[in-house]
Amino acid sequence: MLLMKSLTLGEIDSLLRSLEPDYDVRVPIRLHDGTRALGGLDEGPLALAGGRIPQKITSVFFPQMETVLTMSGAAVEMQRPPARQLFVAGFTAQDADCLEFIDRFYGENFRDDPYFNKRRGAVIACVSGRCGPDGEFLKIAGKNCDIELICDGEKYLLAAYTANGRRLAQKAGGREAPGGLPAKLQTESDNLSTDDLELIRTASRLLLEQKVPDEFWQTISDRCIACTSCNLVCPTCTCFDVFDRKCGDAVRRWRVWDSCQLDGFMREASGHNPMGTESLRTRRRIHHKLAADVVRWGQLTCLLCGRCDEVCPTGIGIKAVCREMVAKYADAG
Amino acid sequence: MKRVLTTCPYCGTGCMFYLVVDDDGTLVGVEPSTEHVVAKGQLCLKGWNAYHFVNHPDRLMEPMVRKNGRLHTVSWEDALDHVVDRLGRIQAEHGNDSVAFFSSAKTTNEENYLMMKLARAVFKTNNVDHCARLCHSSTVVGLAATFGSGAMTNSISCMEQADCILVTGSNTTEQHPLIGSRIIENVVKRKARLIVADNRKIRLARLADIHVRPNNGTDVAFLNSIMNVIISEGLQDRRFVESRTENYEQLKRVVSGYPPAVAADICGIPPQEIIDVARMFAAAEKAMIVYSMGITQHTHGVDNVKSCANLAMLTGNVGRPGTGVNPLRGQNNVQGACDMGALPNVYSGYQKVTDPGVRKKFEKEWGVDSLPRQVGYTVTTAVNAAAEGRLKAVYIMGENPVISDPDQNHVRAALDKLDFIVVQDIFHTPTSDYADVILPAASYAEKDGTFTSTERRVQRIRKAIKPLGLARADWRILCEVARRAGYRKMDYGSASDIMDEIAAVTPIYGGVSYDRIDQVGLQWPCPQKDHPGTPVLHGGSFSRGLGMFSPAEYRPSMELPDEEYPFVLSTGRCYFHWHTRTMTGRSQLLEREERFSYVEISPEDAAQLRIKDRDWVHVATRRGEVRAMARVTDVAKKGVLFMTFHFEEEPANLLTINALDPVAKIPEYKVCAARIRCC
Repeated sequence: MLLMKSLTLGEIDSLLRSLEPDYDVRVPIRLHDGTRALGGLDEGPLALAGGRIPQKITSVFFPQMETVLTMSGAAVEMQRPPARQLFVAGFTAQDADCLEFIDRFYGENFRDDPYFNKRRGAVIACVSGRCGPDGEFLKIAGKNCDIELICDGEKYLLAAYTANGRRLAQKAGGREAPGGLPAKLQTESDNLSTDDLELIRTASRLLLEQKVPDEFWQTISDRCIACTSCNLVCPTCTCFDVFDRKCGDAVRRWRVWDSCQLDGFMREASGHNPMGTESLRTRRRIHHKLAADVVRWGQLTCLLCGRCDEVCPTGIGIKAVCREMVAKYADAG
Repeated sequence: MKRVLTTCPYCGTGCMFYLVVDDDGTLVGVEPSTEHVVAKGQLCLKGWNAYHFVNHPDRLMEPMVRKNGRLHTVSWEDALDHVVDRLGRIQAEHGNDSVAFFSSAKTTNEENYLMMKLARAVFKTNNVDHCARLCHSSTVVGLAATFGSGAMTNSISCMEQADCILVTGSNTTEQHPLIGSRIIENVVKRKARLIVADNRKIRLARLADIHVRPNNGTDVAFLNSIMNVIISEGLQDRRFVESRTENYEQLKRVVSGYPPAVAADICGIPPQEIIDVARMFAAAEKAMIVYSMGITQHTHGVDNVKSCANLAMLTGNVGRPGTGVNPLRGQNNVQGACDMGALPNVYSGYQKVTDPGVRKKFEKEWGVDSLPRQVGYTVTTAVNAAAEGRLKAVYIMGENPVISDPDQNHVRAALDKLDFIVVQDIFHTPTSDYADVILPAASYAEKDGTFTSTERRVQRIRKAIKPLGLARADWRILCEVARRAGYRKMDYGSASDIMDEIAAVTPIYGGVSYDRIDQVGLQWPCPQKDHPGTPVLHGGSFSRGLGMFSPAEYRPSMELPDEEYPFVLSTGRCYFHWHTRTMTGRSQLLEREERFSYVEISPEDAAQLRIKDRDWVHVATRRGEVRAMARVTDVAKKGVLFMTFHFEEEPANLLTINALDPVAKIPEYKVCAARIRCC
């Protein structure tokens, strides 16, 4: 059953602080120069409004670099679950969709223990409504999260979708919102443009039907400076490299985010590289999410969070490339 | 977990990001700053990996002193006493100028200021220099002579406003990636014209309206010929030339000797390409020159720089947004190290050591008598002096001349001859193999300070973690050395206090203080506390008053190909590594991407020599021979080889020539004669 409360920012702050004894609370905060990030309540002022946080939100479960095991003499100590489970607020609806996918990715065939150490039992809170950048309305998720904070322009409506969410919501102050979610907000959310979705669906079709020639990828890769930001901010990018490092008398095995835009990512020990050109790598990044994953996982794995378009220094994020692709090839029959 | 706002330690673009620190005090990532004026939430690959080397187990963590040929761990007290004692004795025996100090463009402004203060106020020598000598010393000299200020005239944001950009001798997308990306954005979105004048077919060349590939080292002839066309077709900005410049008649006379047919022969390109470039550049409302080491690292580097300045003045492209002469400074703080006077001829703010008034001012501020009057050794002439026995000791902070300086055998022989070497660094290097004392320094993530970016922006770095082991911030080490040497006026509570002293004695930094640059850095000149900084130089007038046309005649490079050594060898850097690889070689992904020394060779040359891609080959010059993996690519022009100098295992600088520009003393890294053969 949906539980709904109406909360001020102050009441949200109190709720979050009340969770701290039991949870490692991570929320959107504003850092020293105003950059928004996912952080602890004492790391900076709460910054729920403003849309997606710039970094991939799934980094809370799959950080840029982490120890996966420690070897000391003959003993091997695997990474342990954190002392407190995570409470993570700040997911957009698209972010929650991304999380749903990487839960599948890391859980269905092999089970990625370092990921699930943190993910298991974590409480996910989406933020939506009238609190996007420049007054933009953020889509209401309604799923793939435990609770959701939906901004009505003045206050936040707290909707709890799961048993875990309802338990936490009951701790919140504020007053119950018996009418549930105002129809106006739901309508506003339902009426959000689906142009981007149409765009990548069309692009996906073009790729699956092999209507995008190699020359196209060459023109895109000519503009790629291999910064790897598109991968590093993407909530559904899951690739990593592994390395060992001495630490006192022990050796720690770490993993670190990797990128399919790098030559060495696929290079074989022989020196051969099946993805040995820039255009092949550029193609791979987009083909993977819009074509290969459709076959492999039955879904598009670009869920339109928008981060790669924001972070790419040369304007070849996935939506920008799809726009060019569709403009060039969609009418080619 | 915490995040600390700081500035990237790699190139001079000056992107700010947050270091992510876990609860153990280990750096575990970076997050770009979305609010920073340059980064805008973006980073390049090295930026994304800039946390990685800091906690590497190879870090130097204890002071060491060499006894009986072996390095032994000692206390800080013993190490510092030893340094002061040995330097003092050597100076007593051989004179003050028998000791030299190599400062570092990787360290902060505060530390460079203190290094030059230590050299001058405490050890009474002007023998202080740093690696700007090897990259942009010709810029400092050339632009000071023509404009009156040896720095990038414009801001990085101007890259997005130019109507035409001439990129010459800069592989911008690899060496200043976010600046390169601004150029790409401008070309793709605003349809700005792009001219790439570079021997190599770099990424920007793929997007260029015109890509010209002049022979290495023919820049003066090429630029003179462009000006020849502009003048002969009446395309110059007459009003600008008349009202803002002097010596035009001499420029006209010199460039008249370089009609396209003549220059094309020297440059090895069709004359029409020169004409096309001249017309395109001169036609733009806002035209900009972007250059880097392809222009500076020549025995005629100063002439090259002056010729770029001449072209900008001739077309009226100075002093406005979207225009200018824009040397891209390589190191994170090479601009600052120059600004701080870690140079043998100037104090901070380019105040000349030969000026009695300036000396008097610093004597008063520093509380000392008789500051040295003679201009000191440069990094390159210091090595020569060591080889000849004129220099006896060197104190090296954060530099690695064995790998970075030309003609490695010469450098090794020079270091061998020195009586005493101090190396202050964060990792062991081939240079520290020669050290008598090693002082472990804190990395950029373990101290406070400022870096000055290529656009003259003074920005904060912040202590995110404690120094590893017993390492100390460079500025604290330098202060300790000064104190032990008996000097009392180098004692500071914080890096901020040092900046306050810098501001007091350095007019161009007069308005800089930590409270003003807490979030956004200031661009110098910033002379007063209420001055907003200066995004574009030379607006109303040049720093020297009128811009001085300084024409030069073409002079060939020192060592050209011949029958025995038929190729031109040019050296530089790749995208994944930084300089002598001490940091990037200890970053997992960066090291994985480029693990071997390689040599670029054109497909035509490779076919003729039966060299296949990824074959191991030998590259030799008159100085020596090294192994490298062949990279057969159309990036390389026929007859030209390109190697990076990152790899100590196969050092390209074993091959390079120790030939210097007569004024700037910069080595000719971009041209020497070589041969190549299969292994």
